[in-house]
Amino acid sequence: MDEYKLTVALVDDNATSRKFFLRSVGNLSIDLKTYKDTDSAMEYLGNNKPSLLFLNIIMPDKNGLMFLKELRKMPLHSDTKVIMITSKDYTQDRTIAFELGALDFIVKPMSMRSITSIMLSYIK
Amino acid sequence: MAKSYIRFWGVRGSYTAPFKTHLEVGGNTPCVEINVDDHVLICDAGTGIIPLGNKLISDAKHKELLILLSHFHWDHISGLPFFAPAFNSQYNISFFGPGDSKEVIKKYIDGQMKAPYFPVGTEEWVAKISYLNPKQKKLNYGSMEISYYNAHHPGITYGYKIKAKNKTIIYIPDNECLFLDKAIKEKMTGFTEEETTLFTDMNREEYQAEVKAIANTDILIHDAQYTPQDYKKKKGWGHSCYIDVVNMAIDAKVKNLFLFSHDPNNDDEMVSTIHRECQKIIAEKKSSLKCHIAKEVLEISLD
Repeated sequence: MDEYKLTVALVDDNATSRKFFLRSVGNLSIDLKTYKDTDSAMEYLGNNKPSLLFLNIIMPDKNGLMFLKELRKMPLHSDTKVIMITSKDYTQDRTIAFELGALDFIVKPMSMRSITSIMLSYIK
Repeated sequence: MAKSYIRFWGVRGSYTAPFKTHLEVGGNTPCVEINVDDHVLICDAGTGIIPLGNKLISDAKHKELLILLSHFHWDHISGLPFFAPAFNSQYNISFFGPGDSKEVIKKYIDGQMKAPYFPVGTEEWVAKISYLNPKQKKLNYGSMEISYYNAHHPGITYGYKIKAKNKTIIYIPDNECLFLDKAIKEKMTGFTEEETTLFTDMNREEYQAEVKAIANTDILIHDAQYTPQDYKKKKGWGHSCYIDVVNMAIDAKVKNLFLFSHDPNNDDEMVSTIHRECQKIIAEKKSSLKCHIAKEVLEISLD
């Protein structure tokens, strides 16, 4: 019954981080789609607009900020709700992310409760 | 047959250090020449590129140059306004760096030479200048194979992996390794048992990814700017503590580590002390890693 669920996407090369998000979502009525790199994420994002997108910054294939810049050029994602997730809390990265329209900036490590609370506050 | 080598022209991080007490190591900001079979690859364009440019002009031998930029912070591009080959019509110079289009790379490079920051703009460059497609994931230059990956540094910063002469060289001048590890240790209170277990796994996975990126490298040129005392004050500034770097290089079975991006506050004696501390760690761990101080004009043979 996925059609009744809101879709949230996560792009993060760290497998444990993806698992952490899946565990955080738990029984919430959210369809969480996880991607380990920007290429595989683009296969989905090319034609789909999630209710919320979490993007890691440092990934081997592409920097999340650069990926967000590319997404913003696509009419489909000009206003997609994006939250950056990172293990590095650099002020300049926050500035770039907010300039690109990111709504929030989560720094690892974070609690499962904080993830669900952020999800619910942005997709309600 | 021409000799192939790596030569350091600038080894300081952040800003120049032209002080009498620093000159054994050198005061110029990052620039490393990798010359393979007469193909000149230049890693970064800090002030070290100025004497390199002058040498290229006086040698009058190499007219094709490829410049890889790790990122566009001043200390990595501030030599370009004084790079003599750019002002000589006999040269072909290509640039590659992080960005989403050639136009963006050009804009970043032009920016520092615009009024009111500099009297001469890049429109005065008479060399043939090309900006390579920044979206390509690999480059070939002569016999060199070049790839890159994202470093931990504010903004978008690359580390470059260069395969040449059956050797792997990694140039990663600005990189804050073990960031997640330290963030977790600082914040590890009030989490559930499951969260704590997952953070431990997340941290291990992140570390393994960092180690894998540099595994078995023959020549690793890595940021080692901070002492532990510096790092306490400057965590999140995008540079590494030398202890973390040497431990990571040991775990990755790196063959030769060159401590790079020396703090401009550290004089020759302090850099030697850092080097001795690294040697101590290597001896304690009974590692075969060879640790060196990257110094200006130091040349490493690739033959």
